[in-house]
Amino acid sequence: MSRDALMAAAAAREIGNGEVAFIGTGLPMVAAYLAKATHAPDVTLVFESGIIDPAPLELATGVGEYRLAYGATAIRGTRAALSLLQQGKVDIGFLGTAEIDAYGNLNSTAIGAYRRPEVRLPGSGGANDIASMAARTVIIARTGKRRFVERLNYLTTPGHLTGPGAREVAGLPGAGPVRVITDMGVLGFDPETLRMRAERLFPGVTMEALQAEIGFPLAPPEGPAQEPYPGSETIALLRHIDPEGTYVKLED
Amino acid sequence: MPDKLVSLEEALALVPDGCAITAGGFAHSHQPMGFFRALIAEGRKDLSIMGVAECWVAEWLAAAGMLRRAWFSNFMFEGFGRCRRFSEAIEAGEIETEDHSHFGMVMRLVAGGQRLPFMPVLSQGGTDIVSVAGFERPEDKVQSMTSPFPDGRVVTVTSPLNPDVAIIHAARADRLGNVQLFGASSVIEEQTGAARKVIVTVEEIVPSSTFRARPEATLLPGLMVDAVVHLPFGAWPTGVYGYHDPDLPFLRDYYEASREPAACKAWIDRHVRSPRDHWDWLDRAGIVRLLALRTDPVLGYRPAEDKS
Repeated sequence: MSRDALMAAAAAREIGNGEVAFIGTGLPMVAAYLAKATHAPDVTLVFESGIIDPAPLELATGVGEYRLAYGATAIRGTRAALSLLQQGKVDIGFLGTAEIDAYGNLNSTAIGAYRRPEVRLPGSGGANDIASMAARTVIIARTGKRRFVERLNYLTTPGHLTGPGAREVAGLPGAGPVRVITDMGVLGFDPETLRMRAERLFPGVTMEALQAEIGFPLAPPEGPAQEPYPGSETIALLRHIDPEGTYVKLED
Repeated sequence: MPDKLVSLEEALALVPDGCAITAGGFAHSHQPMGFFRALIAEGRKDLSIMGVAECWVAEWLAAAGMLRRAWFSNFMFEGFGRCRRFSEAIEAGEIETEDHSHFGMVMRLVAGGQRLPFMPVLSQGGTDIVSVAGFERPEDKVQSMTSPFPDGRVVTVTSPLNPDVAIIHAARADRLGNVQLFGASSVIEEQTGAARKVIVTVEEIVPSSTFRARPEATLLPGLMVDAVVHLPFGAWPTGVYGYHDPDLPFLRDYYEASREPAACKAWIDRHVRSPRDHWDWLDRAGIVRLLALRTDPVLGYRPAEDKS
């Protein structure tokens, strides 16, 4: 069982039937189509390129790709797509990141000083808008101490900012991140402190091994919590959705 | 209405040194690369970009050493990676930046286009986008204010931006400057609304009756447009929805060259600076290559099995 497949299945599970989901390129796109093929046939997928509710025949490798546009019910502009977030129409959004802190704040702008960075990254794009305005978000991030850091180089995209009440002060309408899906397990946030904690570990992963890859203290799950193996139907669907293993490799 | 149809050379003259530009397109689509190829070949200096997703325009201007400043929200190559020359020029201090979210950037253009002193937005609050200075003072970019209306809500507001010139590549236009585009319109309406001058390059020039027969399909009415240039394959090597796919092997060839400054300079000199004109640029690509990119009219793209 590959970690990618576990991640995709965990991400798909976050999507509820009948919801509106704002999706980016990569593993979230595969997870969204997995959800649509299983428990959430009535999910509406929205992309920042302006594509709404498409029915692609092939996996697209970008949100601006013409293959993704096939079968869409609407193709609009970027402002219209992002306005759906501000209008409160989007239930869930997915985010990736170069750095993440204990409150689920993300950096996709710069490593080092902003004006003369050591590494200039691509910038927010729609990520800040999704994180600010979607009703809730799910972050996809592979573990590693350079990614899970105590202090971000630059706060591009809001998680829970400095903790309880901070999003309200900043005027952000969405509730922020509810889950962080990693390659070692699924993390969440303590409802009291809004700091990250472990929720379910992938098979074979110990709390010690997970903590060793995270640059801040992580509370263990409350009670035994192992991520379930995806069933054979899920694996078959993943193979169908992403036959080349572009985003979800079925073997480690 | 006046005739807006001009030559590429006449349109290039609307983009002088020091100009702030914005350009159409998203990911590997609809970027006015034919126009910018010619602009780079002519040479300009100290350009600024007010951009949302025109990654290839920003990257080639950076690679040509023509870009000084960028107000933007995200430049990266979907499926490839970072815009190398753009990113490394920022790391070297050669390009100054002012970061936004996509929505934040779009709404600054909306404010600029609508002659409004600011626009409220519900994103960006609480982050370094609003508190870390680029070349603007943070308070000149984003502030929070209390609504003057009875609910007294605190909202984030962002200031206007007006590019000097917007350069757009679209499907077709008439001589009056009416413009039609198929597929996602990205940020074209907001960019052209905010810009002082609007240049549109198009695949086809069609009679005005085409627009009058289906006016609801018009993206830009002629009154929004200053100059129209007939430039077939004017987005190549990026794609045009309904016409041709992006030329991913050609884009990848640039991307590989861009990893190393000397190789990138040689690539730009050979492919971008040396063609005599747009037709020579297309001739060098070759008609077989260009025609192989044509999309299936039903699917809107070229299916994978046809590419082998």
